Amino acid sequence: MQYINNIRQYGLLIVFGIICLIISLITPQFLTVSNWTIIVTQVSINALLAFGVTFVIITGGIDLSLGSIVAVSGVTSAMLAHPDSYPVLIPISMGLLAGLLMGAFNGFIITKSKIAPFIVTLGTMTIGRGLALILSDGRPVSNLSDSFNYLGSGTVLGIPVLILIFILVFAICSIILSKTILGRHIYAVGGNEQAARASGINIERVKLSVYSISGLLAGLAGILLASRITTGQPNAGAGFELDAIAAVVIGGTSTSGGKGSMAGTLIGVLLIGVINNGLDLLNVTSYYQQVVMGIIIIGAVVLDSLHQKSNS
Amino acid sequence: MKYSHLIFITLLALFAGCNQSTNSEKSKENKIVIGISMLSMQNEFIVNINDEMQKKAQELGAELIIVDAERSPLKQIEQVESFIAQKVDVIILNPCEFEASSPAVAKALAANIPIVNVNSATKIAPTAFVGSNDLESGRIAMKFIADKLGGKGNVVMIQGLNGQAAQIQRELGAKEILKEYPGLKLIAQQTAEWDRSKSMDLMQNWIQSYGPKINAVFAQNDEMGLGAIKALQDAGMKDKVVVVSIDAIADALQAVSKGNLDATVFQDAKKQGAGAIETAVKIAKGQKIEKELMIPFQLVTKTNIKEYLK
Repeated sequence: MQYINNIRQYGLLIVFGIICLIISLITPQFLTVSNWTIIVTQVSINALLAFGVTFVIITGGIDLSLGSIVAVSGVTSAMLAHPDSYPVLIPISMGLLAGLLMGAFNGFIITKSKIAPFIVTLGTMTIGRGLALILSDGRPVSNLSDSFNYLGSGTVLGIPVLILIFILVFAICSIILSKTILGRHIYAVGGNEQAARASGINIERVKLSVYSISGLLAGLAGILLASRITTGQPNAGAGFELDAIAAVVIGGTSTSGGKGSMAGTLIGVLLIGVINNGLDLLNVTSYYQQVVMGIIIIGAVVLDSLHQKSNS
Repeated sequence: MKYSHLIFITLLALFAGCNQSTNSEKSKENKIVIGISMLSMQNEFIVNINDEMQKKAQELGAELIIVDAERSPLKQIEQVESFIAQKVDVIILNPCEFEASSPAVAKALAANIPIVNVNSATKIAPTAFVGSNDLESGRIAMKFIADKLGGKGNVVMIQGLNGQAAQIQRELGAKEILKEYPGLKLIAQQTAEWDRSKSMDLMQNWIQSYGPKINAVFAQNDEMGLGAIKALQDAGMKDKVVVVSIDAIADALQAVSKGNLDATVFQDAKKQGAGAIETAVKIAKGQKIEKELMIPFQLVTKTNIKEYLK
């Protein structure tokens, strides 16, 4: 099982390497430290969402409410981040709390009602968007304190705060998934729910946990987005869930559950970022960009599955 | 199990489809009733038009039924159909799309209910139009860049959502001016979908590939202009690059007064909203109207910013 996962990631890594090589041959600016700092900063928000939803997808679920949670938490934190209101910890913790509550709400409804996660999170997606509009009165919330904006554009020892958070969250998520009991239970629930139940795993608790984690990370992403663009926008994050899910799937996590890894998601996230960045550097017309992006996404997954077949 | 999902989705769709369109009955006291379908109440500019409409309606004693088309031309047509069924006196349409919202205009005209388009146009001509010509805003913005750079330099253009009327018009207007100044070169153009963070990403990428070659940025709306400014500031290049955008939203006015944004083009939401209601009321009373009420754009720079800051 672990072995197969390794091969899968290895194949994806080759695809990733080839794409990087091609772009760097065409445009010399691609392989520079400053450009890579930009790429990693740009993907960091999508990465947080993708890491969170990886847990959910491994249990066989899905979370479509990510983008709306980003908006709710962004607006919530921005409203509390006015320069002369509260110290910066308040907007941050309230934004995180908003995300956590929405995620827990998803998990609660899904476990109690047995309605498919697709439907429940579709509902939360609409509710969340409405909440963000109600909270903000349909207008962007701006004039945020410098300490709040520091999160999105500041640096520590020359490294952007966003990248540090990205690395930290990746490390924590990897450990949860591969080294803890919760991680093992997540795989078990996604692999075979009946068997997991029979072996005494508390399935409801596992599901509640994964949706809560996903919501919490979406909350964090919302705060960072608001901080990065120095405004909390009620229409922010629309469609973000699809980018996150795309990254997870490219990273080799099976949408039917039971299989996947954080490292795979990491590569998936970087791949999307590299393609976006590369196409901009090459000044590919925006009409073509969307087509190229789609082809590369499908191509990466096809190549990966071919590679996997030839290895087994 | 599958069935219950289907039923749930159907209910959801029904619920979304028939939202607020039946909530208000025509009042008996001969008040003028105006049905209004707005493009999207998630857009600050549109919300501003809407607020001004409500103020003006109160002043003139008209009753409004306002619904949100949520950017869906189909929904907009359905909303107009329900206005026709409710027999409102006049309809105000803030069209979602040039072509796709046209059937809404046709249906109102066929039912002999006058219809006023506000802010953007449809292919089929309505009874009256109140708004601004987006070509002009693109011209004003690019003209400012041309003057600022002395007619020579490299420009990048950040576009709105490709294919939307505002995006197309603003691009055409800007390109008209570019033709007049052969020294101005458009070295890159790309969409950032009206979005601040997408524009920031795009600008960062352009700074990587073009760096100091960029002399000016034309962003087709303020959100994207502000995103570009953030990227330029982070790269320490803002002082050397002229940035101009369109709409004059509150954040952009702040940025102009701080000197970060060189100019924005003011599109007058208030005059558009008030003008639409005035025109609608005049039509209902059978008074003479202007078939096209054009609200001019204005260039906002640091020299005249005080007039626009509230």
